[in-house]
Amino acid sequence: MTAETPPALHLQGVFKRFGPTRALDGVDLRVERGSIHGLVGENGAGKSTLIKVLAGIHRADSGTLAVDGQVFSALSPRQVEALGVHFIHQERLLPPSFTVGEALFFGHELRYGPFIRRRAQAREAARLLREYFDLEFPPGALVSELDSAQRQILQITRALLAKPKILVFDEPSVSLVKREVDQLLAIIRRLRDQGLSILYISHYLQEIECLCDRVTVLRNGRAVAVVDPRTTSTAHIARLMVNREVSDMYPKPVITPGEVVLELKGLGAGQAYRDMDLTLRRGEVLGLTGLVGSGAKPLLKSLFGLVQPDRGTLHFQGQVIRLTSPRAAVHHGIALVPEERRSHGVAPLLSVLENLTLAGLSRFSRYGLLSARAQAQESDRLIAELGIKTAGHDAAVQHLSGGNQQKVALGKWLSRDGVLYLLDEPTVGIDIGAKVEIYRLIARLAQQGAAVLVLSSDLPELIGITDRILVMHRGTLAGTFDARQVDSDRLLACATGARETVATPLTPAREPEHAFV
Amino acid sequence: MPSSDVLGQVPGFSRQLSVLLLRRGSLLAFAGILAVFAVTAPHFLSAGNIANVFAQSAILGILAFGLTCVVIGGGSHVVSGGLDLSLAANLGVCAAVYSSLNNAGVNAPQAIGLTLMCGLAVGALNGFTVVVLRLPPLLATLASMNLIAGLELVLTQNSVLPTDSAVLDALVDGVWLHVPALAWVLLGTGLLLGLLIQHSPYGLRLYAVGEYPEAARAAGLNVKAYVFSSYLLAGLCAAVAAFCSAAYFSGSTTGSGDLLLSVVAITFLGVVFSRRLVANIPGTLLAALLLGFLINGFQLLNIASFWVNGVQGVLILLVVALSSALRQEEGGQ
Repeated sequence: MTAETPPALHLQGVFKRFGPTRALDGVDLRVERGSIHGLVGENGAGKSTLIKVLAGIHRADSGTLAVDGQVFSALSPRQVEALGVHFIHQERLLPPSFTVGEALFFGHELRYGPFIRRRAQAREAARLLREYFDLEFPPGALVSELDSAQRQILQITRALLAKPKILVFDEPSVSLVKREVDQLLAIIRRLRDQGLSILYISHYLQEIECLCDRVTVLRNGRAVAVVDPRTTSTAHIARLMVNREVSDMYPKPVITPGEVVLELKGLGAGQAYRDMDLTLRRGEVLGLTGLVGSGAKPLLKSLFGLVQPDRGTLHFQGQVIRLTSPRAAVHHGIALVPEERRSHGVAPLLSVLENLTLAGLSRFSRYGLLSARAQAQESDRLIAELGIKTAGHDAAVQHLSGGNQQKVALGKWLSRDGVLYLLDEPTVGIDIGAKVEIYRLIARLAQQGAAVLVLSSDLPELIGITDRILVMHRGTLAGTFDARQVDSDRLLACATGARETVATPLTPAREPEHAFV
Repeated sequence: MPSSDVLGQVPGFSRQLSVLLLRRGSLLAFAGILAVFAVTAPHFLSAGNIANVFAQSAILGILAFGLTCVVIGGGSHVVSGGLDLSLAANLGVCAAVYSSLNNAGVNAPQAIGLTLMCGLAVGALNGFTVVVLRLPPLLATLASMNLIAGLELVLTQNSVLPTDSAVLDALVDGVWLHVPALAWVLLGTGLLLGLLIQHSPYGLRLYAVGEYPEAARAAGLNVKAYVFSSYLLAGLCAAVAAFCSAAYFSGSTTGSGDLLLSVVAITFLGVVFSRRLVANIPGTLLAALLLGFLINGFQLLNIASFWVNGVQGVLILLVVALSSALRQEEGGQ
């Protein structure tokens, strides 16, 4: 490559602001021709905003985009496509009842007069799959009968039909299993060798390391480094991604753990997660984290009866129990504060009082009738205690801010005494002040003798408020860490499957699945 | 989608098997019903009777073609997917419009043209409320059903408007190759729509729009225009069916709304005749004929016709339950 060859893709000084937040703060990104360029960053670092700017969905406030040396200040989605930039998203955008041929060509069908040439489409699809990937799909297969990797390949082939120059992969390996990921990576290398330029976005540093020629690290809307993954360790890349200070915003009382509340032995559910062992005591706050598809979320759901495990046992307060429904979980004294608090956690149209007392109505009723006074007393007490900012207990919850809604969702379960609290991303989308109050609340739950399990992808938060942290990776427990002795880098490295730190957790990794490629 | 991780392990094989059973089973059930009637009902298999069933199925069949288009374009979810409850009422108002125009002495091409326009206008109204106002089709077409049923009452004063024209005579009495004209209309409409929906790019894209709107949008398709067009097709079908109805009953009749349950039953029953378990034109034709033979057989055996309603209800329940069970198994893949 000579010095004059312009890069395939060059973004310079891209700014993008949403209200008061700077999503992109002067990002530079340069993808050389015929190379695979990685893009990594934490949640909220600006990756998805950058992709949307590149796709023409968002318009940058300032900065330039250059494709093959042609410079633009803004692009429409149609222009982007015309320039030969195509996107492979993590969802496979293929109608499930279509055949392989139909799914490949719909929108640009092969036709004979006004009619579709179905046979020709099927033949052509088979030829393209053979030519690009040396693959054969079962003849006549429908999209719904293909596995995730095959659908991903079909999606890539669809993009290749348009003869693209640049392919952008946005988290393509989420929900693929290891073998499928390897296949995908081999295909991407092959595409590069055929002359395409590739931008590859992934959480999984392992993939970045064995695939990419260069990597840009995004942090807080800035490109903080461009490194060569062959000479830079994944742990170093992880450090570049995080680099945050743990402030003293986390109240953490010292509590002596009591009796064991929850014990899992070899719990597993389908392909979601397997071989999960854990113990949780009264007064303990246990952290759980993992990337999308790591199985952490299904595990949490299993503990509330939403996902049925099919292997292993679940001991609750010394007894083996089966949680077949959320009702059974509530009956045992398990409370869940779900992530989607608008749809699951609170009833937005009901008042603060109604929401706060909904989960423990039996406590406020006599002879089947509700006592308005008891409800009002209890909800006023909770409003004062949690510092819920509301006009009064009659205000509708939908008029409260996100943080205050979350406090109501938590308060709902405080009005009945739970034994085990499951919190799913308790502080997503709320401001820092409300966060701290929720941390206090969690600490108080533990002090009162409850066991708390917090699922969060905010690593500093987990380190701040929990005693121990379990990290999951592709369905298994990748490590257990003492919250006092771990930092975000090591957690992230473990969650992304980077090798260096996997060897040092308290509990050794169960499976050396990320053997060096 | 974490739940799909868990559900995803259901092997494709068992699904394929159940689809095969469902499809073969429904064809077998069809054949079984024919066989039972052939043995028990007198003259059931005579050429005259079969031609008769085809002709009698024309009204319901053509309306069901319209609903099939809407279900394809709006998605097959029974509650949130595409649905046009106003089809039967649309037929009623179209028949009333044609009868009034014809009785007022408007010449044939104009009367026919205006009737077709009337059907299209109702389709456009539905398309507007669904696409532009974004009402759920179930509610939007429920509202327009009441609206146009009211219009029909205003037009007819809730009475029968008898009418007679050369076109209607040809439809009801015409025979070509020993097959009645109404049967030809059913088969012809089925053939045209079959080519459009099953064999043209428009049809394939309509399926994509209904099944996975995000995918259709990503492929550069104008999703709203496709959904809108499916309601226009439905309106056109209602107008064509209105001619059949006017011919059959020699004018407009009251109570056309009663056809609705059968139309919905036929469309959802048609789903089980496809390998992919989607609404489709040939399946709808088969289902319309199945229901036609059922009614005809009951008549020949002197069984009260209200049993047919019960059978329809059971069929709807069975088909909807089976296909949603299969869809659940498919999970969020």
